[in-house]
Amino acid sequence: MSEKATPPPPASSPETIPSVAARLAFYQRAGGIITPLLTAVVAFFIGGLVILVTTHKNPLSTYRAIFDGTGLNWFFHVGSDSIGIPFTDSRLWFPWDTGSVAANNLQQTLIIVTPLILTGLAVAFAFRCGLFNIGGNGQFTVGAVVGVQFGIWFAGMPRPLHIVLVMAAATVAGALWAGIAGLLKATVGAHEVITTIMLNWIALWIGSYLVGFGGPMQDPRQISAPVTRPIAESSHLPIFWGNPLLQGLHIGILIAFGALVVYWIVLNRTTLGYQVRAVGFNAEAARYGGISVPRNYFLAMAISGAFAGLAGSIDILGWEYNLDLTEVQSVQIGFIGIAVALLGRNSAIGIFFSSLLFGALLTGTSTRNLDPSIFQPELASNLTRIIQGLVVLFVGADLLILYLWQVRGKLPFRRRGER
Amino acid sequence: MVDDRSVLELRGITKRFPGVVANDHVDFDLRRGEVHALLGENGAGKSTLMNILYGLYHPDEGQILINGEPVRMSSPKDAIERGIGMVHQHFMLIPVMTVAENIVLANEPARAGLLLNYAEARKRVAELSQQFNFAIDPDARVEDIGVGQQQRVEILKALYRDAEILILDEPTAVLTPQEAHELFEILKRLTDDGLSIVFISHKLHEVLEIADRITVLRRGKMIDTVPREGSTEESLARMMVGREVLLRVEKTSADPAEPRLRVEALRVLDDRGLEAVRGVSFEVRSGEVVGLAGVDGNGQSELIDAISGLRNPVGGRVLLGERNVSGAKPRTILDEGLGHIPEDRQRRGLVLEFTLAENLILHDYDKEPNSRFGWYFPRRVAEWAATLVRQFDVRGGGPQARVAGLSGGNQQKVVLAREIARNPRVLLAAQPTRGLDVGAIEFVHRRLIEARDGGEAVLLISLELEEVVSLADRILVIYEGQIVAEYGPDVTEEELGIAMTGGRGGGEEAA
Amino acid sequence: MTAGAEAVQRVAERVSSARAVGILGIGLGALAFWLALPPETVRTTPVPVAIGILAIGAGIWSFSRGERKVGGGAVVSGLIGIGGAFLVMRATPSNLGDVFVWSTLAAATLRFATPLTFAAIGGMFSERSGVVNIGLEGMMLMGAFFGVYGADKAGSWVAGVAIGMAAGGLLALVHAFFAIHLRADQIVSGTAVNFLALGITGYVYNDVYGNEGTPNDLPAVPDVNIGWLDKIPPHGLGQFLAEAFGSLNLMVWLALLLLPVAYVVMFKTTVGLRIRSVGEHPRAAETVGISVYRIRYASVTLSGVLAAMGGVFLSLGFVNSFTENMTAGRGFIALAALIFGSWRPFGAFAACVLFGFSSALAQRLPDLSTSQSAAWPVLFQTLPYILTLIAVAGVIGRSIPPAAVGRPYKKQ
Repeated sequence: MSEKATPPPPASSPETIPSVAARLAFYQRAGGIITPLLTAVVAFFIGGLVILVTTHKNPLSTYRAIFDGTGLNWFFHVGSDSIGIPFTDSRLWFPWDTGSVAANNLQQTLIIVTPLILTGLAVAFAFRCGLFNIGGNGQFTVGAVVGVQFGIWFAGMPRPLHIVLVMAAATVAGALWAGIAGLLKATVGAHEVITTIMLNWIALWIGSYLVGFGGPMQDPRQISAPVTRPIAESSHLPIFWGNPLLQGLHIGILIAFGALVVYWIVLNRTTLGYQVRAVGFNAEAARYGGISVPRNYFLAMAISGAFAGLAGSIDILGWEYNLDLTEVQSVQIGFIGIAVALLGRNSAIGIFFSSLLFGALLTGTSTRNLDPSIFQPELASNLTRIIQGLVVLFVGADLLILYLWQVRGKLPFRRRGER
Repeated sequence: MVDDRSVLELRGITKRFPGVVANDHVDFDLRRGEVHALLGENGAGKSTLMNILYGLYHPDEGQILINGEPVRMSSPKDAIERGIGMVHQHFMLIPVMTVAENIVLANEPARAGLLLNYAEARKRVAELSQQFNFAIDPDARVEDIGVGQQQRVEILKALYRDAEILILDEPTAVLTPQEAHELFEILKRLTDDGLSIVFISHKLHEVLEIADRITVLRRGKMIDTVPREGSTEESLARMMVGREVLLRVEKTSADPAEPRLRVEALRVLDDRGLEAVRGVSFEVRSGEVVGLAGVDGNGQSELIDAISGLRNPVGGRVLLGERNVSGAKPRTILDEGLGHIPEDRQRRGLVLEFTLAENLILHDYDKEPNSRFGWYFPRRVAEWAATLVRQFDVRGGGPQARVAGLSGGNQQKVVLAREIARNPRVLLAAQPTRGLDVGAIEFVHRRLIEARDGGEAVLLISLELEEVVSLADRILVIYEGQIVAEYGPDVTEEELGIAMTGGRGGGEEAA
Repeated sequence: MTAGAEAVQRVAERVSSARAVGILGIGLGALAFWLALPPETVRTTPVPVAIGILAIGAGIWSFSRGERKVGGGAVVSGLIGIGGAFLVMRATPSNLGDVFVWSTLAAATLRFATPLTFAAIGGMFSERSGVVNIGLEGMMLMGAFFGVYGADKAGSWVAGVAIGMAAGGLLALVHAFFAIHLRADQIVSGTAVNFLALGITGYVYNDVYGNEGTPNDLPAVPDVNIGWLDKIPPHGLGQFLAEAFGSLNLMVWLALLLLPVAYVVMFKTTVGLRIRSVGEHPRAAETVGISVYRIRYASVTLSGVLAAMGGVFLSLGFVNSFTENMTAGRGFIALAALIFGSWRPFGAFAACVLFGFSSALAQRLPDLSTSQSAAWPVLFQTLPYILTLIAVAGVIGRSIPPAAVGRPYKKQ
């Protein structure tokens, strides 16, 4: 990790290309909250057109049905009710009914929001250091695999200890996995996009080997199913809202909120965060300022991976309780994390709202929550992907926003004097 | 072979960029078979003028005539079609391709309309190279041949496209003296063949060696066009530098004490692996400003990098006080007491997306009171920033404003505040006033003198002669990676100008 | 003068590293063979096979970097190593004849390599022109679905192929517009395009075919039956050739045909020269009058069309149906093959074959293995990615991309 190993930019390219971090900071100045909102609205509008053209149904009522499935409508049903204090038997007055169908749906949404926040953070933290972590899937998988194994081991442990141990192990595993890409970037300059993509697939196939038929982690009592043994009771995350037997909301969501706070604190209240941000905005200035660029590349990747690894274990400990082959092979959450981070503009609060949006979309369009007579869930879930794609597409095009602004006459874009 | 017909004429060319007039009603004409030099300091508007001629920029006013006919050029393609070829300062060559491929690109000889006829290409290139005695292997890859050869490839590119007018933008900037000499031979052969050449340079002796006529630009204005006969280095330097009001800085004479920075036989490579600093030695004492004058690209950047730890030297030593810091990390050197105002404040000196406060602690973000045990205290940083903003009169925003939104002068004040407020033992100021307006320049100069009077050792590296002369107590001249002369503070700009362009001027030759 | 010496030294270094890798490959192949030889010591095949594959990888690597003899030697030596491993396996009584094993494996390898080849060659055009294309996956998926859709609706596989290619090209055009015109981050734009393809194909598939799935009577791309192959003496060879190459799909042959065509276009035509110049140094290309935007648009669109052909092969030539997300990451493997093959058609193809071989092994070994635990062949699937990781890490000589790849270009 020589300080001076950073290769000079090729002489043939006098222009400097802004990093993704710099681009996103630019949006924040250019449009604040307006641009992400606009991006989402345009994406939903196009999605609405798709609905209209293909099903001839009113897009608004379709979106309404999806919205009702997300459980977010729960907040609008204000009344007088009571709430149980978690882990006790006492109850308190509360304006919302915590046992309604909407409440149930909201629990499902928040269960999905949990890993989305964390993988969004995994992408965002790397972005802040000028790196593109496209390896959230792999890091998530590694976290899940390690989480399952540690959840099976140490079965006799006291519950809080066991949970902390499992999550710590998964976090470290995710960090190490992403750290490989960070190390390669720091030492030989291998592009993190390529290395993290490769690591995704390596994780996928190693995971498939471990969990699949005849693999060392396959449940020996279920020879016919490629699935691990269930984790020990002592590692289940406590459920504080909803029926524990019907997938209630576990405390993972609180951990995710905590991670948002940690993310904000690390970036804004530690010297590490200062370094990471400096490197992300202008690596050359950081180097001049005495900051080790390679060291920060490594650390940023590792911390990113830690978030994703934690996400993997929380899903296991919170509601899956075991890991099966299809889950290993169909992980998409790292990619959705990219959309979350981009739409959330790499800020903690932005990531909260964008993961809520994507989480709600995923729940609202699931077979369980969407009435097929209104809109087929299979179509709806694919519509979600289209909307994700559109969001990422528009967010990535700062010139589009520049053009919009130019039209509004706020930014003189063309250099004067040029015809 | 020079005849009186103008192959090219520029009339009243004006080009404005936001905030500057790069060319202000410039007239220029090129006769058939002549070498016409365009002389001027950095930023005098030479490159802008040539980019206009090559169709890369469009003039706001004025006319271009080729062979007496007015033309409009909107792209390099137009220029090529009208027989204009350009050899850019940064070569427009593709390193991984062969010489022949580079030359024929976009005008390839083809079989069946599509298949590249490489045999034909290399044959034509070989013929062309033979015709002008270039000794170039058409099959060599560009990245494997030397800089001088690459330049010939660029010239061949133009000749292959039947250029009649050849523009050379600072062609000797990257060449060794021998290579430059060979280039001049080539240019003579070309003009004998009837080509006309525009030769852009700021090196006086070269211009006197090669040009038939010389046009001098200064701050975007054309000063005069003179024949080579009768011109001297002194007369050209006077026109180039001008006799305008000097920014005199009030200062007492220096009272130098112990040496703070010593550079001994330092050798440093540039990005291409060539030796850019070739055995430089000097010292800077407490309480003096040492000015390092020189034309851009003579090893200053590499010297700065080596002193500040951003580039490892391949030989020699840098001593900060008594400590040998050659090859140490930037952080170590900063902590040893180096203040460094970098050449390019936007690329290196500032994190533009950071706030003022964050930029002000770029070197000390991890030291008390800014942070402790890895915790960072924005409030304390902001307080510190507010103090500095007041002290250095930074305008355009408070501690929480983004630096990107400040004007150039205020951005530089931020850099200055950061570097000076650390009370460095040695202050390295590289081009501290580049791109600033008069007021800001004055401010920077005053601060540098104050630093000197406070006992700091100041090394000022600048391309602006006025600045060096008015600030420095001792002046070193760097030329092609070596210190070629040393002067006292009362040297004239003409003398300096000649020394830094490789002329054999007076002054005490440095050891 | 020093510049010349430096350059020579640099070239010498590069050559010697490629040579060293090649020699390493030969050594690995020999090791694999040696491990395979005494059947009593190493009874399992995976070790020699893995080492053999490493040897082949090293060989391709050094071959595509100019060390043809040594690289070729390493490939041969790796093949011998793997052959040895199979001899070990043949020694077990429950196995079929080696002719069958080899020919099915060869045919399966080609089938797995074909979609990768189309996509990798497509990616080569895009990246050689300076635009990173991680959207290959999505473009393949577009081809896979719309190929089926077109074949179904128009009733002919030719129309299916054409419509599939057009769909891939359209998606590529979206990527091109955002990456070139709007100068978006090319990785972000590629990611977006992958999402879009997943959503669009899934949506239309569910909308049109719903729960029934694609029809069973799809007009498939036909196989090419070469009957006279098994007449080739000696009998064993003829039989092998017939089993391996006698009934391959038309699109497999198209992929093989695409290779020399792509090579000629990229390295022997004026267009290819211009594409490469734009990818290496767009400013230089523009100063001689080449339109950087036009070249990049054309190249990216072509890459989508070719990647879509790979997708069409998957659906119409291989399994004759469509399932959601059926490309399953092949676009990324193609990208890896492209990088591993150093952005050259034959290098990329060699990597595709190697990667296809890994997949074929992973798929076939469970049937052939005699051991109880049959999970390990899955691990062969990781080989392409590990090899690529090693390649970009430059532990054994760097894979050097086109100089301007990934950098948005702004016209002056």
